[in-house]
Amino acid sequence: MSETPLVDELEKGPWPSFVKEIKKTAENMEKRAAQGMDIKLPKTARALLKQLEISYKDKKTHWKHGGIVSVVGYGGGVIGRYSDLGDKIPEIEHFHTMRINMPTGWFYTTKALRGLCDVWEKWGSGLTNMHGSTGDIIFLGTRSEYLQPCFEDLGNLEIPFDLGGSGSAIRTPSACMGPALCEFACYDTLDLCYELTMTFQNELHRPMYPYKFKFKCSGCPNDCVAAKARADFAIIGNWKDEIKVDQEAVKEYAKWMDIENEVVKLCPTKAISWNGRELKIDAKNCVHCMHCINKMPKALKPGDERGATILIGGKAPFVEGAVIGWVMIPFIEIKKPYEEIKEIATRTLEWWDEEGKFRERLAELIWRKGVREYLKVIGKDVDVRIVKAPRNNPFMFFKKEELRPSPYIEELKKRGMF
Amino acid sequence: MVKTDFGPPKYDTMLHPIIKRNYGKWKYHEVIRPGVIKRVAESGDVIYVVRFGTPRLLSIYTIRELCDIADKYSDGYLRWTSRNNVEFFLTDEKKIDALIKEVKKRVGFPCGGTWDAVTGKYGLSNIVHTQGWVHCHTPAIDASGIVKSIMDELYEYFVDHKLPAMCRISLACCANMCGAVHASDIAIVGIHRTPPLPDDDMVRRTCEIPSTVAACPTGALKPDMKAKTIKVDVEKCMYCGNCYTMCPGMPLFDPENDGAAILVGGKISDARRPPELSKVVVPWVPNEPPRWPTLVKYIKQILEAWASNARKHERLIEWIDRIGWERFFEITGLEFTEHLIDDYRITPYFYGELRTSVQFRW
Amino acid sequence: MTEVTYTEEEKKKILEQLSKKTWKIPELAKVIQMDKAKVKKIVQDLIDQGIAAYWSSGSTTYVATKAYVQELEKKRAQG
Repeated sequence: MSETPLVDELEKGPWPSFVKEIKKTAENMEKRAAQGMDIKLPKTARALLKQLEISYKDKKTHWKHGGIVSVVGYGGGVIGRYSDLGDKIPEIEHFHTMRINMPTGWFYTTKALRGLCDVWEKWGSGLTNMHGSTGDIIFLGTRSEYLQPCFEDLGNLEIPFDLGGSGSAIRTPSACMGPALCEFACYDTLDLCYELTMTFQNELHRPMYPYKFKFKCSGCPNDCVAAKARADFAIIGNWKDEIKVDQEAVKEYAKWMDIENEVVKLCPTKAISWNGRELKIDAKNCVHCMHCINKMPKALKPGDERGATILIGGKAPFVEGAVIGWVMIPFIEIKKPYEEIKEIATRTLEWWDEEGKFRERLAELIWRKGVREYLKVIGKDVDVRIVKAPRNNPFMFFKKEELRPSPYIEELKKRGMF
Repeated sequence: MVKTDFGPPKYDTMLHPIIKRNYGKWKYHEVIRPGVIKRVAESGDVIYVVRFGTPRLLSIYTIRELCDIADKYSDGYLRWTSRNNVEFFLTDEKKIDALIKEVKKRVGFPCGGTWDAVTGKYGLSNIVHTQGWVHCHTPAIDASGIVKSIMDELYEYFVDHKLPAMCRISLACCANMCGAVHASDIAIVGIHRTPPLPDDDMVRRTCEIPSTVAACPTGALKPDMKAKTIKVDVEKCMYCGNCYTMCPGMPLFDPENDGAAILVGGKISDARRPPELSKVVVPWVPNEPPRWPTLVKYIKQILEAWASNARKHERLIEWIDRIGWERFFEITGLEFTEHLIDDYRITPYFYGELRTSVQFRW
Repeated sequence: MTEVTYTEEEKKKILEQLSKKTWKIPELAKVIQMDKAKVKKIVQDLIDQGIAAYWSSGSTTYVATKAYVQELEKKRAQG
């Protein structure tokens, strides 16, 4: 009889099974170790399965709380993990995760991947996540003493890999496939993401901030990396001028597509009209939502005046509630060497580092300090586009220089209140 | 001297030659069948991107097999998507069938996960999820097991284009939410339902009391200076587990009461209507390993109620908006309970007037 | 960026604090009334020299002396 009857149930069914992946790893690791290969942890994958079976029986986790272990000089990239079943299943006592910074856009050569596999076969459990939620390659499970040699071997590969971010640091930035494969990309997401990653290597590997900080780059408002909801600093491709229309291609679509019902009527601002011969888009009224472009990629394209919108503060509910990023910069040009955007990012980070309380994300700091102050920090003017609507209460702060001179003010001054 | 801070391999060394040659010069794309996207460049070059679902947790031996397949069909290049799918790049359309067959045979991954906005026929993409009992120390539910159970049940929607609009399903095993669960069409979130049970000895040995107390968003924790531990005001605690993140002496796991909440109606894309947070429609479902039948049933119920009633391109929230929440609960058969009325002390809707969308006019 | 410099005395002062508990940088800077950039530089140098170390719960990161962190890990391992 199987030692793991509960998790075995998850080998059944049409969807690929993670349990099969764990078993496959265990069998191969054990076999290859027995053949004399240099494999440090041939029994860890099997041990994970055993622990998982116990979790399935107990309906709770058996991983203990945190604890750092890292590589020399770095404070991130490794999540320490210990099992509370270490006495029963010694092979799983340590099960630390390494976060490996993925190539931007998750593009790989097989050579790069094989290098990663070789290193992890030697020093780890042989289990991975492709990929973690933030985007890193996740090496699941190794012991403290193997972290450093594993890291060094990764760095010595012909195609070397470095660790990503964890803890109170900049987390590994991620980007959609952008101009590599997509005609909608309004800027070079891969290049900007790579540049940001390289610019902030120190801040990525040496956690010295109040909490985590995420950059994410999406090439258009479709936002395939969910930057708006997840990134403190979301860079979303956008354009200012009118959508480019190829009328002949529209006519091709019109042969079979119900343009009236599927495009015109679904435009959020009713900016499109179609008379059977010509598709007209009222550029002044278009809000760049992407629906019509998604519908007719052969006929419609984002305009030529391209750049990005910066949304600030996206985060999950911990601690004070979920935030979808706030538009702080409606439009910015994204051109190499990206000086302006790097400057804004740097100023943002310095302000948050200085003012942020422990475990306070950027959104919570802006909430506490006010949008006005943040705009001043990044040197941007207010713009009506950063609000859905003006405020609905009259409790406004006025600066001293906005007030008229008056006897009342004189009295305030006299009493030291002004 | 150990090399540090050299960063990831540069992306342009990882690109298929056709992709590199046409970088930034793509003309259009066409989804020629579920799982296969034809991308055409201005130069006339064509590449077929073939997508397969994965369990995210992958063996290095599977990755090596994927490499073998990529060497054979895809000139040694491949890519993962933001939703844990793997893609191969083919230049020869005639090889697609053989590729799909070989992937299925060698690693068991299904081709699919695409959608076609042009024809208005959408497939279900993979579920993004967190670690759960496989690797996390704060989960209220498992992740991989639930995802596997759901995807087994929704398999037909992954391999085909049978849905009226895009539908993103995500799972987070606790409220910490690694991943964009809070803005998904259907979100599953692990929740605890019991306050932490302080382990005084552990608190004394390993925790910093002031910062743990300060970490509580509802002010439910008080330092007990005399006993050098922490006291919990049970009335105020809403079981978020933030204190446990700070201090291992504050565990709050109760196998009989931990479970999942289901949220719906979130979206991230700006298409048609602005991004939106998901809303709770099922307050709690118990943990039922190994296959979580109740949870799976609810997810399928919601998805199919929407799929059979929504108009073309109408995402879950757009459908609900048209028919109303009262009708949503009626059609899905879910029960509206008092738990679904927001009474969290700190409203998440601060700065309600700030724009959370890139939809604005120039 | 301007080069941050510091004295041996300042380094000693920080080392003394780091041997007491796990610190968050801003908190440490406040307690010893030293410029945060300087604190960061000193701490990073101590880490690079293998005297101090990071300690993290996973989501948030602290610093302390290596000896203190090792002791803490031992205590937690028992729990």
